[in-house]
Amino acid sequence: MEKWDKKHILEIKEFDREEIETVLSLATSFKEISQRDVKKVPALRGKTILNLFFENSTRTRTSFELAAKRLSADVVNFSASSSSLTKGETIIDTIKTLQAYHPDILIVRINSSASLSTLAKYTQASIINAGDGKNEHPTQALLDMFTVKEAKGTLEGLNVLIVGDVFHSRVARSNIFGFSKFGSKVTVCAPPTLVPYEFEKIGAKISYDLDDAIKKADVIIMLRVQTERQESSFFPSLREYVDKFALTPQRFKNAKKEAIVLHPGPINWDAEISSSLKEEVHPLILKQAENGLAIRMAALYLVGTRKRAL
Amino acid sequence: MRILIKNATIINSDKKEEADILLVKGKIEKVAKKINEKADKIIEAKGKTVFPGFIDMHVHLRTPGREDEEDISSGSMAAAKGGFTKIFCMPNTNPAIDNESCAKWIAEEGRRVGKTDVYPIGAISKARAGKELTEFVALRRAGCLSLSDDGTAIKDSLLLRRALEYSKMSETLIISHCEDTSLSNKGSMREGAISSKYGISAIPDIAESTIVSRDIQLAQFLRVPIHLAHISTAKSVDIIRRAKKQGVKVTAETAPHYFILSADDVEKNAFDSNFKVNPPLGDEKDIEAIKKALKDGTIDCIATDHAPHSKAEKELPFENAPFGFIGLEFAFSLIYTHLVVKGVLSIEDISKKLSFNPAQILGLKGCGKVEEGFCADLVIVDLDKKWEVRHKEIVSKSKNTPFLGAKLNGVVETTIYNGKIVYNSKNES
Repeated sequence: MEKWDKKHILEIKEFDREEIETVLSLATSFKEISQRDVKKVPALRGKTILNLFFENSTRTRTSFELAAKRLSADVVNFSASSSSLTKGETIIDTIKTLQAYHPDILIVRINSSASLSTLAKYTQASIINAGDGKNEHPTQALLDMFTVKEAKGTLEGLNVLIVGDVFHSRVARSNIFGFSKFGSKVTVCAPPTLVPYEFEKIGAKISYDLDDAIKKADVIIMLRVQTERQESSFFPSLREYVDKFALTPQRFKNAKKEAIVLHPGPINWDAEISSSLKEEVHPLILKQAENGLAIRMAALYLVGTRKRAL
Repeated sequence: MRILIKNATIINSDKKEEADILLVKGKIEKVAKKINEKADKIIEAKGKTVFPGFIDMHVHLRTPGREDEEDISSGSMAAAKGGFTKIFCMPNTNPAIDNESCAKWIAEEGRRVGKTDVYPIGAISKARAGKELTEFVALRRAGCLSLSDDGTAIKDSLLLRRALEYSKMSETLIISHCEDTSLSNKGSMREGAISSKYGISAIPDIAESTIVSRDIQLAQFLRVPIHLAHISTAKSVDIIRRAKKQGVKVTAETAPHYFILSADDVEKNAFDSNFKVNPPLGDEKDIEAIKKALKDGTIDCIATDHAPHSKAEKELPFENAPFGFIGLEFAFSLIYTHLVVKGVLSIEDISKKLSFNPAQILGLKGCGKVEEGFCADLVIVDLDKKWEVRHKEIVSKSKNTPFLGAKLNGVVETTIYNGKIVYNSKNES
């Protein structure tokens, strides 16, 4: 049996390499299920899963919901707008109330960073982090690593370049921790205003020059430009951002021939990536979504069937 | 064009020597005893002193918007007359220099006039409104080596933080106008006995030093350089001195009036608006502190804060008139008269404070020294001559200066910019 002794999936930080490999190899077998005519296995039959999205999401929520259904679990969606939170209930009371229904797994997206270990104290269920503020988005990093492994055959010794709004990105943080555990080197490339303070101390290299950084990259992860954040002047204009940090055909020419491009979605074409590269880069990005489903099935399966007795 | 300067006393920031200087195609080709090469023009400089071209980090050329007060051409002429071969113009214009095309146009206009390098300083925030950053990278491309919202301080500390961070990438020096406008509260002169005596709305010295302190802490926290404009108070000097000892990358400038004039002069001159400037003139303690800071290097350089204003504006009563003095044409003589003749600074320090240090601060390569291979920007001065500041001889479009009638030592005789003579006191070329 591969290594697994986690009750929750909260942060890639606390994963070790073997645990990541366990998820990835399980996802390989689950990926095949979604390609069948009958896309369902009874692995989690009788389990109750709550999709707790305190922050808006369609893509991640749909992915988790489908993953749960394909494993035959009972899934209930709970979204912030329709929840009792709008009626003044505290988040802790919400968790306690839901605990009364004895769920097995809570899939949580929430806007406060690093808040899930606090919530975990009030439920017996396993928690899977579907994005907690700016902290982590572990299943996104796992699906990114899965996609890279499929494309490159390995996760070792790669130069991974993460471009864009690193400051607000839970995807960037999870990926830095994930890829680093395999001895790959992660460089973040962004305007200095979007690189967190002393970020090199978590093991990332920092570059403000995409033209230079792109040359060595094996994997390029483009993050979404959050134009709504421009108001607070993280960068002066989309024009200048595009000028310095967009993946353009010109820049892509300077990358290695076999370099691959990932994006967690949704993409703003012509902001972070030129739409003239669409043919070239979009297929792999869509594959990330497909792989995401398999990763989430693997994640649910692992915490749903192999958690330690309480 | 080959120019040979004979028997000059050359003053660099670190040494003084007698030599000939040969200028060829905008470069200093040779510095040596007895150069006997052919030249298109020979300047006999026996008994004269040669400095590297002066660099003024802080001028207001009022362009675009108030070309009646100064324009690139008149400002360049004033610069040439004062020995300045590079000037940096502030963006508090109308419209503000906050975009690539405006900055580019100013640099080009400077080249067209051809009497001095005119470097635009881009605004830090759009329309200098203190809300959103300008396009630093585009401004850098247009020739802005530095950025400032001069005229107003950046109130929002987070915006200044972002500006300092972003400037790491754009390689643009952030120049801060240190003033807490809540404290300065629309004052007209330094808060003290005189302002109290006459009931003049006043600005306390801490309006400057509190922001100096904030800016230094930000620069230290982010490990980026910051340059502080027109430092005028003893309290600011203390803070800067301490920060430099701690290794903070802070540089500072002052202007001649801050080591010459005080609030007493405002009273003595019956509240003549030509004595109104921001930051305001301080007291004797400030003057002494600024001199000491220039001597020990706490203040790196001297800039003029050349601020032309029309006659109509400056003849208004003191509290109604705008702030600022012109300075390009008198800066050298004021420094020489008040600091060198009086033994506060050495003659070499003039090279340091007006050429070498500004070049270092702004990252200008190959200038700030009279040395082979450096740019052929030179000033030839007669230190023994005296002159008087007279209204009709001022070439700047505006004549607002508290130094009218001042008798000064040291006359700029010839200014050579990019290997060409752009000013000669004999024919006022």
